[in-house]
Amino acid sequence: MPSTQQRRRPKNLNLFTIRLPVNAIISIMHRMSGMVLFLILPAMLWALHQSVASEISYLALAGLLNHWLPKTVLVVLSWAFFHHFYAGLRHLAMDVHWMKSLPKARFSSRLVLCLDVLSVTLLAAMIW
Amino acid sequence: MMIELLTKKYPGMRLWLAQRLSAVVMAVYLLVFALLLIVKQPAGYEAWMNLMSPWWWRLFTLLFFVSLVMHAWLGIRDVFKDYIFNPGLRAIFQLLVDVLLMIYLGWTIVILWSM
Repeated sequence: MPSTQQRRRPKNLNLFTIRLPVNAIISIMHRMSGMVLFLILPAMLWALHQSVASEISYLALAGLLNHWLPKTVLVVLSWAFFHHFYAGLRHLAMDVHWMKSLPKARFSSRLVLCLDVLSVTLLAAMIW
Repeated sequence: MMIELLTKKYPGMRLWLAQRLSAVVMAVYLLVFALLLIVKQPAGYEAWMNLMSPWWWRLFTLLFFVSLVMHAWLGIRDVFKDYIFNPGLRAIFQLLVDVLLMIYLGWTIVILWSM
């Protein structure tokens, strides 16, 4: 049985009091987007299969995607791809000791976020 | 020193390198794919097939998916090792992912073969 003293020990597990630095945000988002991409892989393969199997399945897929709901889903999921892509390139750059100092790493993290937003917006503009 | 790191003494280094090399292969494939899409602007089924079906492009696509399976296997494995503490449970999840990835690779070969 723990004493009262022990039970009253302060905890700092309130996640709202912990502010992640931008590099940490990029890193955890890289991991999460990787999981998302793994989970949507069967849908991607299915779409690829439909697009090349026959002209009928190609047109059926095109018809299915030509609707605001699948387009929105695609744009949201494209964020996972673009983030994983750009953050991955950033990791590769750091593996060869490029942009490794803290100020440069912060700069490249912000650059990744900007490229994410830009790419997702561009994709949305292109398919609408 | 690089060669020393890739010997049996440091097995993790090979996995680390495999993760990076597969990433580079996928990045190159995607850049070439994006360029092809911009240059050719395929509209309709026939143009799409002209883009996708040359044997060298199908081979490159297969290489892309082999890299993807390798990359995903290593990445998911790291995530499981970090968050699933029960070894038995982790083994079950890992087996599930292994089977899924093998199915996806088989599916890719079917897609590319039947083009």
